Amino acid sequence: MALFFNISFFFSGNKVSLPKKKIILLTALFLVVQNSSACFLFPAEEERMHLIEAESLLTAAYIEDVSVEPEDSGKVISKADSDTLAYESVAEDTFLKDLDTRREGALLIKVLIAFIIYSIFSMLVLLVVILLHRNKLELVEKISQELKEKYQGLLMDYLFDEEHEPEILERINKAAGDKFKREILMNQMQDLMVNLSGDAADRLSELYYKLDLDRDSEEKALGPKWHIKVKGFRELALMNVTRVNDEIIRCLHSKNSILRMEAQLALVRLGEEDRFAFLDHLERPFTLWEQLNVHQTIVSHNLEIPSFERWLNSDNPTVVIFSLRMISLFSQTGSWKKVAEHLDSPFEKVREEAVHTLGELRVKEALPNLKQHYKDEIYENSLEIVKAIRKMPDESVLNFLKLVIDKEDDIQLQIEAAKAIYEMGDPGIKALQKIMKSEYKNYQIIIKHVLDRRI
Amino acid sequence: MEFLIDILRWVLNNFLFIITIAIFSAYVLLAAFSAMTLRKYLRKNSYVDYNSIILSPLAPSISLIAPAYNEGKSIVENVRALLSLYYNNFEVIVVNDGSTDNSMKECIEAYNLEKVNYYFDYRIPCEKIRGVYKSKNRSFYNLTFIDKVNGGKADALNAGINVSRNKLIVSIDADSIMEPDALQKMAKPFLEETGKKVIGTGGVVRIINSCEIKSGKIRKIHLPKNFLARVQVLEYTRAFLMGRIAWARLDGLLLISGALGMFDKETVIKCGGYSTKTVGEDMELVVRMRRYMVESGQKYVVTYIPDPLCWTEVPSSLKILGRQRNRWTRGTAETLFSHKKIFLNPKYKSFGIFGYTYWFFFEWLTPIFEFFGISFFILYAIFSTPNWPFAILLFSFVYTFAVSLTVWAVLFEELTYHKYEKKRDVLRLIGTAFLEPFLYHPLTLVWAVKGNWSFLTGQKSWGKMDRKGFGTKKNSDSSAT
Repeated sequence: MALFFNISFFFSGNKVSLPKKKIILLTALFLVVQNSSACFLFPAEEERMHLIEAESLLTAAYIEDVSVEPEDSGKVISKADSDTLAYESVAEDTFLKDLDTRREGALLIKVLIAFIIYSIFSMLVLLVVILLHRNKLELVEKISQELKEKYQGLLMDYLFDEEHEPEILERINKAAGDKFKREILMNQMQDLMVNLSGDAADRLSELYYKLDLDRDSEEKALGPKWHIKVKGFRELALMNVTRVNDEIIRCLHSKNSILRMEAQLALVRLGEEDRFAFLDHLERPFTLWEQLNVHQTIVSHNLEIPSFERWLNSDNPTVVIFSLRMISLFSQTGSWKKVAEHLDSPFEKVREEAVHTLGELRVKEALPNLKQHYKDEIYENSLEIVKAIRKMPDESVLNFLKLVIDKEDDIQLQIEAAKAIYEMGDPGIKALQKIMKSEYKNYQIIIKHVLDRRI
Repeated sequence: MEFLIDILRWVLNNFLFIITIAIFSAYVLLAAFSAMTLRKYLRKNSYVDYNSIILSPLAPSISLIAPAYNEGKSIVENVRALLSLYYNNFEVIVVNDGSTDNSMKECIEAYNLEKVNYYFDYRIPCEKIRGVYKSKNRSFYNLTFIDKVNGGKADALNAGINVSRNKLIVSIDADSIMEPDALQKMAKPFLEETGKKVIGTGGVVRIINSCEIKSGKIRKIHLPKNFLARVQVLEYTRAFLMGRIAWARLDGLLLISGALGMFDKETVIKCGGYSTKTVGEDMELVVRMRRYMVESGQKYVVTYIPDPLCWTEVPSSLKILGRQRNRWTRGTAETLFSHKKIFLNPKYKSFGIFGYTYWFFFEWLTPIFEFFGISFFILYAIFSTPNWPFAILLFSFVYTFAVSLTVWAVLFEELTYHKYEKKRDVLRLIGTAFLEPFLYHPLTLVWAVKGNWSFLTGQKSWGKMDRKGFGTKKNSDSSAT
C-alpha cells in the first residue's frame, strides 16, 4: 500500500527534486522486496510453519479432546481441521500435497498446471500450423504459377488464333473448371486487359462473356462480404458491365471506406450518362486518398472530363476542394471567377485550395483579389497567396511583395515574396539588387538564397 | 473493514504474482487486438494500389531527415538507397552532426556537393548550422546536405526540420534501410485524414543483420546467425506485431520508433521539436505531440503501419546491446517522468488511462520488480528452504507462457509477411524462443536496472554504437564492437 502511496505522490504533479526522487524510488523498491518476502512463491512454506506449530498443539488437543488456539494466528483449530491436518501430514511426501494443501491453493495449482499444459499444447499446434502454412503457401504459389503460365498461353492463342477459336475455348473451359482456377484465369484476364486496346480488348471482353465470368463478377458484387464485393466491382468496371450499377450506387454510402471508394471508382468507369453524379450525393468527407484515386482513374482511362465548376457550390466542403483541385489540374480557366468566390469561404482549407487553384490557372485578373485577402488570412493561406502571385509575375504587385519582405518576420514568406519578385524578370532582379543594398543584413541572405539557382 | 484488510493483505502477499498475471493478461489482450487489426489491415491493403500515390500530383511532398554521426562506412550507400525510394515528390536531408570521421568528405565526393546560399530560420533551436550543401549534379536535385556543430540526434533532427520545406517530415536513422515503397505506405494515413488530424505514423522495423545488401538495397533476407541478434528478431516481432499495432488501434500509442516515423511538420514545430534533454527523443516527441493536441483541444490520431518498412542493424555484442538498452530505459523513464501529468488522467483518454499506465507499470516498473523478485528468490533459496515443487511449477508456468507467446508472434509473422523464406529459419527462430528466457531475458533485466540507476544518477550519454555498414555484400553480424 505504501508503495502505491509513493507512486501516486510521484505523479501528484508536485515538482520533486532529484535526491527526493531517489529516496522515494529506493523506498518503493525496498517495499516491493519487503512485500515479496511473503510473496506467492512461498505460500506453502509459510503455511507449513503454521502447520508444524499447529500440529504440536493438536497432539495435545487429541489427547485432551479440546480446541486449542495457536499463539499468533488467533484462529481456533477445531477437531475437523485437525483431522485434515493429520491426513495432510501423512500425505506430505506426495508431490501435490507438498505444494499446497489449502483449497484455494489446490485450485491455483490446477490452474497453473492447466496453463502449462495449454501452453505446451498450443506451442506444438502452432508449430504444426506454421509448417503446414508454409507448405500450403509454397504449394499454392507453385500451382498458381503453373496455371498462370498455362492461361497466358491459352489467352494469347484465343486472341490471335481466330481459326481454332472453338477448340481453344473448350480448352480454356476445361482448364478453368473450379472456382480457384476461374479466379486465377480472371486475374490473368484483368492483367491482360489493362494493357490491351482496340480489337484485342474487344475479343478479350467477348471471351469474358463466353466463359460466363460476368456472372461470377456479378455474384461477387452482390455478395455480402465487402472484400468479395470490391473484387466484383473491379472486374465489372474493367469489363464495362453496368448491370449491377444500382448495387454499386448503394455502396457509395457504406461505412466501409474501401468499399465506398471502390464504388466511386467503379461508377467513374461505369456511369453511363453522368460519371460524377456521385459527387452530388456524397455525405461523408471525400478524402484526399479517394480524390487522388478518382483523379488517377480519369487520367489512366482517358475519361471524358466534366466541368468541375458544377460542384463548386456543393454543401460538402471536401467536394468543393476536389472540384478546385480538378479545375486546377485540368486547367479549366473559364471557372476562375467561381473559384475566386471561394476566397471568402468560411473553411480555411477551401480558401487555401482556391488560392492555389488561382495560382495554377495563372489568371492575372485575380491578383487584386488575392492581394486584398492577404492581410486577413491565416499564415498558411497568406503563404499560399504569395506562392500563387509568384506563378503569375506582374509588376503591379511589386510594391506589395516589397512590403511583404519588409513587414513580415517569417522567413518563408520573405523568401517566397523575393522569389515572386525574381520571377518578374529584369525589373524584378533590379528591384532585388536594390533591396540587397539595404543595410538590413537579412535582406542580403534572403536574396542570395533566392538568386542561388542551385537550390 | 476486516474483509478489506484481508483483501489488502492478500494483494500485498501476492504482489509479484498479481503483476505477472496482469502482464500476461495484457499481452494476451494486446495480441488479440493485434490479430484483429492485422487481419483487417491485410485484407484492406490487398486492394490498395500504391502506384497511384507515386503518379499523382495530389500526393503530399515529404522531407526525409537522416541524422548522421560518424557513419562514414555506410553513409554513401545509405543516402543512395534513400534517394532511390519510390516516391515522386520528396527531398532527402542528410544532417552531418559534427562527425569526426570522413562522413562529410565521402558524401561531398560521392554526390558532388557544394555549399549554397541557403537561408532558413531557427524555428526550433538547434546547434549552429555551418553550411547547407546541394549537388552540382541535377540527378541529385532532391538531396540536401547539412553540416552542423555536434548536438546529438535530436538536435540534428531539429536542424533538418528547420531546413525542410515540406509539410510532412520523416525521421530516419542514416544507418537504416527503408523499403522502397515505405513513403507511399506512410503517406497514406495522412491522405485518409477526415475529422481527426493525423500527426504521426510509424512503421514496423525489422532486423537487417545477416541479410544480403547491394547498393543500399536488401537483396536477400536471412535470419541473423548471431544469437543476440536472432533473439532481438523475436523481441522486435513481439513488440511490433503484437504490441504497437494494438496500441495504435486502442489509441494509446506512445512510441514511434526513431528508426522511422512520419510526422506533420507544423505540429512538430508547434511542440518545439525533438527534445535534446532526453535520450528517448522519439518517444518523448510522440507523447508531447499528443499532449499538445489534447491541450489545444484538437482532434488527432497517431497511426501505425503493420508492414515492415525499415530495416536496421541491431547490436550483436553484449556490451553494445547493454548500452542501447540502458539508453532505452533511461529514455522511457525520462519521458514518463517529464509527462507524469498524463498518468491516469481522463482528459487524455485512452492515451493517458491505458497507454501511459501500461508503459509505466509494464515497460518501466516490471523489469525492476522482476529483477528484485528473482534476486530475492535466489537469496531465499541460498539462505532458506523455498517450496521447490511450487516454485518449479510457477517458473514452468511463466516459462511456457512466455515461449508460447513468442511462438504466437512467430505465427503472426508467418501468416502476414513471412519475410524469412527458408523453413529452417522459422524453426531456428522458434528454437531461439525456447532459449530466450534463460539466456537473454535475465540480461535485459540487469540492463533495465542499470538504466534506471543511470537515470537516477542523471547520466545523459548516448553510448557508442559502432556499425559495420551496409556496403559489403553480406551484412555479417558476428562481432560488432
